[in-house]
Amino acid sequence: VKLLQLGWSHRCAASAAREALAAVPVERVLAELKARGVSEAVAVSTCNRFELYAASSSDAPPERESLLEALAELAGAELAAEAEAREDARAVAHLFSVASGLDSLVVGETEILGQVKTAYEAAKASGLTGKRLNVLFQRALYVGKKVRSETGVAAGAMSVPSVAIQLAESIFGKLEGKSALVLGAGAMAELAAKRLVARGIGRLTVANRTWERAYGLAARFSGEAVRWEEFPEELVRADVLIASTGAPSAVVTRAMVERALAKRGGRSLFLIDIAMPRDVEESVHALDGVFLYRLEDLESIVAKNMSSRAEAMAAARAIVEEKTGEFDAWARSLRSGRELSLRHARGSAA
Amino acid sequence: MTAQSIFTWGAFFLYSAAAFAALGYLFSKDARASRAMLTLLGFGLLLHAVGFAARLAAFWAFPENRFFLPLTSFYGALSFMSLALAAAFFFIEARARLGILGAFVLPFAALALGAAVALARPDVEPLAQPLRSYWLNLHPMLLMIAYAAFANASGVAVALLIQESQIKSRKPTELCYRLPSLDELDGLNGKIIALAYPVLIAGLAMGFVWAYLDWGRVWTGDPKMTLALITAAVYGVFLWQHFAAGRRGRRPAYVSLVGFASVLVTFFGAELLRGRHAYLGGPR
Repeated sequence: VKLLQLGWSHRCAASAAREALAAVPVERVLAELKARGVSEAVAVSTCNRFELYAASSSDAPPERESLLEALAELAGAELAAEAEAREDARAVAHLFSVASGLDSLVVGETEILGQVKTAYEAAKASGLTGKRLNVLFQRALYVGKKVRSETGVAAGAMSVPSVAIQLAESIFGKLEGKSALVLGAGAMAELAAKRLVARGIGRLTVANRTWERAYGLAARFSGEAVRWEEFPEELVRADVLIASTGAPSAVVTRAMVERALAKRGGRSLFLIDIAMPRDVEESVHALDGVFLYRLEDLESIVAKNMSSRAEAMAAARAIVEEKTGEFDAWARSLRSGRELSLRHARGSAA
Repeated sequence: MTAQSIFTWGAFFLYSAAAFAALGYLFSKDARASRAMLTLLGFGLLLHAVGFAARLAAFWAFPENRFFLPLTSFYGALSFMSLALAAAFFFIEARARLGILGAFVLPFAALALGAAVALARPDVEPLAQPLRSYWLNLHPMLLMIAYAAFANASGVAVALLIQESQIKSRKPTELCYRLPSLDELDGLNGKIIALAYPVLIAGLAMGFVWAYLDWGRVWTGDPKMTLALITAAVYGVFLWQHFAAGRRGRRPAYVSLVGFASVLVTFFGAELLRGRHAYLGGPR
C-alpha cells in the first residue's frame, strides 16, 4: 500500500462522524498528523465530506489504524465504523471522481474543484506533500477541469432561475448595464430580483399594484419602484422583464409590447412569465426580437439538462478511468526507479 | 510545381483542415478541436504568406512590375482575399474568444484559396501597359480586403441566425450557450460591415478613377461594375438598418447574407457574363 484514502461523505447514512470531523479546522488536522510522523497527507474538508489522503515515501504503508486514531482524537468521536477506505488505484480513481464532481450531491458542481485545490494548498503549505501527492493533486485538478470542459456533466443550469439567467446571457451577453423590470412583489419576484442583482444587473425596477410592496422590494435590492400605471413606459427601458403577479388575466399585452418596441431601437426584450395564470400574452413571442419564456419552458430545460448530465456521467467516468490508469503507471514506474513522464504514461495506458 | 504553388497548396490544405476542426469543435465541444483549428490556421497563414512572398518575388523579377502587386489576376485576387479573410479571423475573432465562429468563417477561406489553386493559373508576367497604374493596383487590393471582411460578417450573421432560432425555439440546445450572445453577434456583424464599407467604396472609387484615366469615361456598363454597385447598395441598406433605423437581430443578418451573396455573384458571376473584368475567359 502506497496511498491510502479515508473518507466520510454524504453517501454514508449516519452523519455524526462527518459533522464531528467537519468541525475540526484542517490546519489542526494537518498539524496533528505531522506531529505523529505522517510524511504525506492532504485533508479535504467540506460540508458534504471529509477525506484524508495519506502516502508514505518508504516501503512502509501509511497505517490506517493510527490515522483513524489521530482523527478520532481530534474529532472527539468514534469514526472507524463509518469510514470508507480505499487504497492505491482505487484511491486515485476516487479523488479524480471527487474533483470531477461525480461524487457530489449535485453532479458536476464546480465548487468541489476549488475545495480540493484549497485542501492541497493547505497541505503543501504545511510541508505535508511530497512528490507523489503533489503530482496526484495537480493531476486531480487537471482531471476535474478536463471532465467539466469535455463532457456535459457540468453543462446546463440545474434550476429555473439559473436557466433564466443563462438565457438572458445568451441574448445580452453580460448583464451589467442591462435593466430589469419586475412585475409583482411576491416571493417569486423577490427570488428573481435577488438572482438578477447577484448577476450584476445594472438597473432594477419593481412595479406592483400595491405601491408599498413594490417600494419595499425595490428598497431591499437598491432598485427603483414605479407606479403600476407607469410600467408600460418602463417596458421601453427594460431588457429583461419578470412577471409574477397574481392578476387573473394577462397584464402585458401584445399591443403594449408593440408600442414599447417602436421606441426600443431594436434592442431585444426577454420576458419571463412565472405567473399562474399567465401575465404575458403568448402572442408577443412571435414579435421580432421578443423572447417569451414561461415557467414550463424553463422547467423543461431544467429537466433536459438533468437527463443529459446523467448521460454525460459515462463519458466522465471513462476520463477518470483513463487518467487513473496513467497515474497508476506513473506511480509504479516511480517505485521501479525508472520514472515515466505522465505524457509517456498516457501513451502506454491508452 | 513551383515553390510558391507548393506553399499555397499547403496553405489550402491547412485552411481546409482548420475549417474541419472548427466544425468538429462546433459539434463536439472538444477543446482540443478548437486548439487544433488555431494551430492549423496559424501554420496555414504562415505557408500562405511565404507562398505570397514567393509569388511577389517572381512578379517583381520583371522590372516593370516593381511598384505593383500581383493582384490583378483571378489567382492573385482570390489568394489575397483568402489570406485577408483567414488573417482577419485569426487576429480578431479567434482572439476575442469567438473561435467557435471559425466553423462559419473558415470554410470561405478554404474555398477561396481552393478556387485559386485549382481553377486559376498562378503564373506571373509583366503587367500590360494599361494595368500599370497605382489606381488599378489599389483597386483589387481594397476590394479583396472588403470582401474578406464581408465573408467574416456573413459567418457572424449565420451564427446570429442560429442563435436567434435557438432562443426563439424555447428548446435551446447546448449550442445556444456556446455561441456568443445575440447582442455580441449583432454588434460584431455591424462593426465589421461598418469598417469594411469605406474600404469597399474606396476600392470601387479607385476602379472608376482608373476607368476614367484609361477609357476616358467612368461608366462603361461592364456587368461587374453594375454588380459591384448592387453590392454597395445592399450593404448601404444594412448600415442604414443597423445604425439609423434601429433594426437589430434577424433582419439585418439576412441583409448581411444577401450582401455577401452579391459579393460572390460580383466576383464569380461576372466571369460568366464576360466583359472587361473577365479573368478566366479572357487572357490571364
